[in-house]
Parts: sequence; structure tokens; C-alpha cells
Amino acid sequence: MLQRIWTVIQKEFVQTFRDRRTLLLQLSMPVIQLLLMGYGMDTNVNHIPLVVADQSRDSASQAYVNALEASGYFDVVAYVSDETEVVQTIDGGGAQAGVVIPHNFVTQVERNDAQVLVLVDGSNLLVSQSAYNMATIIAEAHATEVLMENVARTGLLDDGRSLLPLEALVRILYNPNLEAIWFVVPGVCAMILQTQSVALTAAAVVREREVGTIEQILVTPIRPLELMLGKIAPNVLIAMANLLTILVLGIWVFGVPFQGNFWLFLWLAFMYVFSGLGLGILISTISQNQKQVEQMIMMVMLLAVILSGFMFPRDKMSVFIRLAGNLFPLTYFIPIARGIISKGIGIEFLWEQLIAMCIYGIVIMLAATRAFRRGLE
Amino acid sequence: MQKSLRRTFAFIRKEMIQSLRDWRTLLMILAMPVIMMFFFAYAVNLLVDHMPTAVADMSRDDESRAFIEALEISGYFDAKMYVESEEDVIRMIDEERAKAGVVIPPDFAARVERGDAQVLIVFDGSESLAVQTGYSAASAIAQTHSVELLMSKAGQMGAALGALGGGALPIDTSIRVLYNPDMDGLVFMVPGIAAILLQLLTIGQVSMVVVRERELGTLEQLLITPVRPLELIISKVMPNIIITIADTVLIVLIGVVWFDVPFRGSIWLFAWLSLLFIVSGLGLGLLVSTVSQTQKQAQQITAVLMVLTTMLTGLFYPRLTMPPVVRAVGDLIPVTYFIRIARGIITKGVGLSFLWRDVVILVIYAIVVIVLASLTFRRRLD
Repeated sequence: MLQRIWTVIQKEFVQTFRDRRTLLLQLSMPVIQLLLMGYGMDTNVNHIPLVVADQSRDSASQAYVNALEASGYFDVVAYVSDETEVVQTIDGGGAQAGVVIPHNFVTQVERNDAQVLVLVDGSNLLVSQSAYNMATIIAEAHATEVLMENVARTGLLDDGRSLLPLEALVRILYNPNLEAIWFVVPGVCAMILQTQSVALTAAAVVREREVGTIEQILVTPIRPLELMLGKIAPNVLIAMANLLTILVLGIWVFGVPFQGNFWLFLWLAFMYVFSGLGLGILISTISQNQKQVEQMIMMVMLLAVILSGFMFPRDKMSVFIRLAGNLFPLTYFIPIARGIISKGIGIEFLWEQLIAMCIYGIVIMLAATRAFRRGLE
Repeated sequence: MQKSLRRTFAFIRKEMIQSLRDWRTLLMILAMPVIMMFFFAYAVNLLVDHMPTAVADMSRDDESRAFIEALEISGYFDAKMYVESEEDVIRMIDEERAKAGVVIPPDFAARVERGDAQVLIVFDGSESLAVQTGYSAASAIAQTHSVELLMSKAGQMGAALGALGGGALPIDTSIRVLYNPDMDGLVFMVPGIAAILLQLLTIGQVSMVVVRERELGTLEQLLITPVRPLELIISKVMPNIIITIADTVLIVLIGVVWFDVPFRGSIWLFAWLSLLFIVSGLGLGLLVSTVSQTQKQAQQITAVLMVLTTMLTGLFYPRLTMPPVVRAVGDLIPVTYFIRIARGIITKGVGLSFLWRDVVILVIYAIVVIVLASLTFRRRLD
């Protein structure tokens, strides 16, 4: 049996290395992806273009706008005259947030009943969220400051600001400066590996079927499982090479700290790649032509991104959706990658994911083998 | 000209028969958007609330309890897990049992009295969405609480509270989210999903077309017929256009009828611009197909294209923060333009006067990409 697998592996290796262009493509794609995503994905939105309708143009209103701008989260891009024009600017995409300050702001502030309206573009999710969150904080902080100034002016309490009795220090674990790239690298690492491993093998079986060479393989004494394993072998190598390039890039180019045990990560990544390749083989076996394979790969990729916890927290999803997410190896590997790379935790916290991934890998290989056998009859 | 039309028409018929015969693939292409819509719609939940929070309250007095209650009342934090120390809090976060933690030092009440109390709020920084919302919520809550404390102190000191508005803040900021006042995840997602599904369908269908004929050797047979490259390409794309239009209708119907997403703009404008987008997506797919030598290569390229599309076009991650080079790469993908159009028409309800720039770019894009595809195709033949 080992000998037969070895023969298939040899054949697959020869085939893989002969097609230089494809190989080069497979080796370089992850690098391009990581570079683009590493710089491109930032959920912490700042410098949101802000349109201002300041109907007072007094010291208080200017202080308010300054507070928004000084935070770095908002950039004033235009001044208009009223709320309608603010909405129009946001409609046209010229700004993604707006602020409307009414007449006589300074007197209203002194009377303690000033009202400001902040408008946020609700068509883009992360922008809306950041704008909303930051506007809340900044407005609150500014109002407090003004209050403290008022208090100081009454002479009751001399220096208002320092008298706030409670100070909250916020610390963010694993990523103290909220560097976007630190969030991104573990997830992107996991995702690129899945893209690579699934796409690498997805063509394997269906292509032989389409070109007609599958018949030739079947007259040899090779068994389905042996064929599958042999077909996976060169791709495991390519995927591991991909993994190493991504890690090297992430650590040295992007400066992401690798907190955990590197060897543990490598082993778990190996098993992850294996289950991804299994999924690719399964897709390849149940498809009738490469067009179907193509559709399925893209669907898998998109669903995995959404359901695996890569973008959206899984603990908010309903049970059914979460179960559907379990169909993708990415779901098991995301906590592993984040755990080892960002948090630096070890196997004692990750064993559940590990076992799930092992079971997944075995089940999917068996399923592919069975589907292959059934497809022949 | 007439001859050319006749040839094209004959080819379109051939392609139609071919796609209709492969009904399993056809069914898949029609069912896919429906399945995807449901998954997307139910999976995407952006409201970060009720974060499991570990509490190390080392004072256990009235003031510390009041602070924890303030966190709880906000709805952002579920402060139910009590532990002993800061280390315990961090361990809870390590183990994924908590997403946030609060550490209140001993003698809290006395320190509040003296005016130098400190609390530590810790967040799990491995998931970016939750951190940001949690961070802003915690800061705002702490500040409000602090002001309240100060005001009640001022009251005790017998200050003329009236002059200070009875403890209310002098400026009241109300924040209104346009188009989507409840920040409903579905409203955010439906236009984006429509755009990405359309691209997935068009590129997925077409990227295999030319390279497949080449791999199977049937391209040679086609070439001895009098058909010209552009005619061949147009007829190859035709059945896919029809299928994708059917998908578009399905996607919009599900969004509007099932998920109640408001469709604010003109449906006809959207239909026309979708058609334009479909054509440019098909053009891109064709280009992938003519550039690739084998179907395996085509697959690899489309898979990467798909990943980049979800990341760089503004579907989830705002293009605002991307550096110019990355943004330029996103500009090469037609979804970038169509997402703005889809959001503009569906969510904002604006018309051509606001969207014309993206429309013009999309037209140019479609022409360029189709011409490129037929040029590469011709060069490949020599």
C-alpha cells in the first residue's frame, strides 16, 4: 500500500513541478495577498471625512469642532450652512459624518442646554460604527471639560478637571496600541492557507475525469484513499511553503510579535492544511466539471470568511449558523492562530480545537474517498 | 456586419444549448445566491453588546458596586464572573471565557471620596470589532459615572447646583445614523452581498470558458470556423449574462421581501447599472480565462481575486484607511464601483446625479477589460 501511494506521489510531484507557471503562481499568490490585506484591512477607522454646519461660529462651537478634529478620528472636509446640506454632502459621498451646531451656541452652553446633532453615514458598517463610537466618547469628554470649566468659574471648586473622582485606565491585552496589522496577520494567515489548500486540490480529481485520464488510473491497482493521499502530498509541501512565507513576511516585514510556541504552531498548521486539502479533494470528487468546482470553491471561500469568526464574532451567531461554520477548517484554525500568535497560549487552551480539527480531517478524507467510489459506479 | 451578427447569433445558440444541457451546474448557479443570502444575513451581527466580563472587585463597597452596576446597565458588559485578582482576570481572557475585565483596587470608596480613585478595564485585543466598541463604551461610561460622582459631591458641599444645570452636562450631543438608524447589520450587508455575489457568479462562470476549450482541444475546432474572437467572446458571455440577471432579481427579491431591507432608490436605475456591472465582471472573468494556460491556473487566480474582492473593495473594510497603493489595487476590481452604486441606490436612495462618476468608470472599465480580453485571446492564437 505504501509503495502504491509512493508511486502516486512521485507521479504527482513530476506533474506539479513540470507546470512551472502554475507553481510560481501558487507560491507567489499568498505573498501578494498578505501584502495587500496587511496594509488594507483596518477596522479602526480614523480620519473620517466630516462636514460641518456651524450656525454659531463662536468660541464654543469652534471648540466643539476642534475637539472632534483633534481626536484624529474626524477630518473636517467642508463647511456648509445647514442640516439639509450636511445630509446632501453625505448623500453624495463627500463626507461620512456631519455635525450641526445651532445658533447662539455659546449662550446655550452657558445656560447648560446646548444641543448638537451629529450625523453618521449608515451605509458603511465599520465607518458608521467607528464614527458613532468615537463621536460618543469625544462629545462626552468635551462636555465634561466644558462643565469642569463652568465649575471652576463658579469658584466653588478651584480646578475642575483634576477633581474628577474616578479615572478609568483601559488596557488592551495582546495588542496594546490597537495595531491593525496585529489583528490581521493571524486571521489572514489562516485564510490564505485555506484558500491555497482548497484551491490547490480542487482541480485534482475532476480534471482527470474531464480529460479522461481517470479511466487509466482506475485500471491500475491503486485504491481510492491511496490516490487521494498521493494527490495531496505535493500540495501539502506547497501549502507549507506558503505558510512559511506568510509568517516570515508577517513577523519581519510587518513586525507582528509571535508570542507563542513556533513549533506547536507549525504542527497545528500542518494538520490544518491537511484538512483543507481534504475539503478540496471532496469538492473535486463530487463535482462533474471544473466549472462546478469553481463555483463551489468561491462559495466555500466566501462562506468561510463570514462564518468562521474571521470577520464577525462567532459567539453572536445563532446555533444553526455556528454549526454551518463548523463545516470549514478555517473555523477551527482561527482560534488556534490567534491564540498562538497573538495571545501566546499553549496546547492546554487549544486542545478542543485541535481534536475537532483532527476529526474533521479524517471525516473529510473518508467522505472524499466514498464519494469517489460512488462516482465510479 | 449582418454576417457577423448571424455568426454571433449562431454561436449564442450553441452556447445556450450547452449551458442548458448542464442543468446541474445551472441549478447550482441559481441556488447559490439564495443560500448565500441567508447565511450572510443571519451570520453578520455587528452589535457588540453583553460582553462577558470578569470582575475583580477588591473593595466590595458601595462605590465599587455602583461602578459595576453602571457598566452592566449600559448593556455592553455582562459583569457576572467574579474573580480575585488582576491575574485571574487576565487568565479568564486567555481562556476565552471573558472578553473584558474590570479590576477595582482596595479602598475604592475612600479613594472616590478623596478624588483619586482608579479602575482598570482590560480588553481582549485579539478581536478588533469587539475591542473598539468596548473601549469607547467603557470610556464613556466611566466618564459619565465620574461626573455623576462629582456632582453629587458638589451637592453635598452645598454648592449652588442650579448654576451647574443640576449636574447635567452643558452640551447634549445626539447622534443620528442616517439611512440605517438602528445600525441593522442586514441593511449594511444586502447591497454589498448583492455586489459580491454578482461578481462571484460572473467571474466564476466565465473564467473557465476559454481555457476549458483550450484544454479540451475544442478551441482549435472553433478557430477553423469563420467566427472572429470578439464574436466568439460575446456569444460565450451571453448565456451567463442571462443567468446572472436571473440571480440579481433573486438576490434583490430575497433582500427586500424576506429580509425587509428598504429599497430607497429607483429599481430601474439599479437594474440598468447591474447589467453594466455584470458585463464588466464577465469581461474580467474572460480576461482571467484568456490569460490562464490551464483551468488550474484560472482557478487559482479567481480564488485569489475573490479573497481580494472581499477585503479591498470596501465591502467590509472601509477603503478610507487603506494606503493609496492598496486602494489602487482595489480600483482594479469592478465591485469597488458597484458597491458604491448599490449602497447609493438601495440604502441611500440617491440617483445618477450623485453616482455618475462611478457609472462612467464602470463603463470605461467594461470596455477596456473586454478589449483586453479579445486582444490577449488573439495574441494567444498566434
